[in-house]
Amino acid sequence: METSNRELQAAEYLERHQIKELLSYLTSALLFFRPEKPREYLVSLLERLRIAKVTGVAFPFFMDNSNIVAMFEMMDSSGRGTISFVQYKEALKTLGLCTEDEDLKDDGHIITLDKFKEEVNKRMKEIWSAF
Amino acid sequence: MDLATAPHRIPPEMPQYGEENHIFELMQNMLEQLLIHQPEDPIPFMIQHLHKDNDNVPRIVILGPPASGKTTIAMWLCKHLNSSLLTLENLVLNEFSFTATKAKRLYLQRKTIPSALLVQLIQERLAEEDCVKRGWILDGIPETREQALRIQTLGITPRHVIVLSAPDTVLIERNLGKRIDPQTGEIYHTTFDWPPESEIQNRLMVPEDISELETAQKLLEYHRNIVRVIPSYPKILKVISADQPCVDVFYQALTYVQSNHRTNAPFTPRVLLLGPVGSGKSLQAALLAQKYRLVNVCCGQLLKEAVADRTTFGELIQPFFEKEMAVPDSLLMKVLSQRLDQQDCIQKGWVLHGVPRDLDQAHLLNSLGYNPNRVFFLNVPFDSIMERLTLRRIDPVTGERYHLMYKPPPTMEIQARLLQNPKDAEEQVKLKMDLFYRHSADLEQLYGSAITLNGDQDPYTVFEYIESGIINPLPKKIP
Repeated sequence: METSNRELQAAEYLERHQIKELLSYLTSALLFFRPEKPREYLVSLLERLRIAKVTGVAFPFFMDNSNIVAMFEMMDSSGRGTISFVQYKEALKTLGLCTEDEDLKDDGHIITLDKFKEEVNKRMKEIWSAF
Repeated sequence: MDLATAPHRIPPEMPQYGEENHIFELMQNMLEQLLIHQPEDPIPFMIQHLHKDNDNVPRIVILGPPASGKTTIAMWLCKHLNSSLLTLENLVLNEFSFTATKAKRLYLQRKTIPSALLVQLIQERLAEEDCVKRGWILDGIPETREQALRIQTLGITPRHVIVLSAPDTVLIERNLGKRIDPQTGEIYHTTFDWPPESEIQNRLMVPEDISELETAQKLLEYHRNIVRVIPSYPKILKVISADQPCVDVFYQALTYVQSNHRTNAPFTPRVLLLGPVGSGKSLQAALLAQKYRLVNVCCGQLLKEAVADRTTFGELIQPFFEKEMAVPDSLLMKVLSQRLDQQDCIQKGWVLHGVPRDLDQAHLLNSLGYNPNRVFFLNVPFDSIMERLTLRRIDPVTGERYHLMYKPPPTMEIQARLLQNPKDAEEQVKLKMDLFYRHSADLEQLYGSAITLNGDQDPYTVFEYIESGIINPLPKKIP
């Protein structure tokens, strides 16, 4: 089926502004927090995003610092303060921060909590800046 | 951390919240608007869209041949739904727009205006505050496929399209009796719709071009065009026969406009079947469970299973069974919660019957968080229930169940040895029915959006009604 020009245009628009990720984030936030008035809540989220984009203030992330630390500790069962490269890759995939076939370089160093935090924050910022 | 080894267990509050607040439809509408307008800055656009909050306002198109009653129906619907009516006349006579003055000149000369101009007028009008807030009804537009496509390219999509149809001869005759009130613009008819007040009668005018020849010509034109317009609105179109009294047409149109179309929203059915004993609840529940893979939760069955398995609850329930007393509500709710909290019930959905018996049980159910999203009342008259239950028999040798009217035993020998369950005796059945009807009024009030069905038909017909009740979205009531 040949896709018409407007269809391609629309698909490209979605890609450019990352609409799918944005809507996915909004829906997840709604279902997680379950506010009484969904529309007002959505408006407030979008306002915060708009302000954050303009002023460069921290974006309202879904996961904040304590969540990242908690996740790290869950993976690091023995409490050594490091996680293996495989775990790190799996964690990034679960958070939706890296794609299946992206090749993360295993530079031989062990992944500490700081490195993990840094990487997660960096990737989140990349995604959010596209909004 | 791996998805495959530990599947995500979604708490049941999330899908419930999503269904109640129609989150899926909300997001779908927002995405549609984004794709139609493709703003450079999506976030302020989305904020504006959410503020408008007009996902559910009426957006209706009414089409039909001349003399079918389009304008009458459109006007009545407008008054009822409190929306704005758009016809060719009032678009052109709009004093506040430059395009309208241009169009007016052309209209007065030739009675029609070019499609591009018309569509521009529509776009302007629909952007105005009252159309955005309260919805709109287009009367007789689009007339041709060209107009329909142009409207679509601008992103104006109706949610309901009604096409009136009637045989040509009826229409030609009807048109001869058409009269117009010049002051209000309302259309009357010499035979079907004569105004009662004599002052209106006196000022009625005969409109031009209603002779048979002219109507026939207009009808030809209409038939040529409508065939090409109808395919533009595949899923939202409904054809209503205009060859019936005005009021009937209006009611059909109103019900259609108030119904929602099926959405793609994820939906786990949580069905509650209510009805007196013998109305067919267990049978319908079994059919539903088989076809849609829901979990069939029969309250009585659960209790009997608990007793038979000798679980902790079973031990508590057994004395009540022995004394033939009703099991107390608190115990009942505990057994129910245990079953309904299991993962398969949450994921697949459930069909519940046998409970609640009265208002207290219903409130307890609600407080525990098991809100059904479809409730059905099966109505069966007393005589049918007596017929269904008192003629039940069982063969003690083979264990086969018979019914003296619907499934009689094949030989006289079997019939001689049939036994009746003491619970199916007339007095017992009457007692249980009285018990149900005592509380049914309260339950009907509590479950306001319940669907009442006639249970006095063959099981597969009732099943089809239940199915359509589950699959179609609940009709929305006008506030």
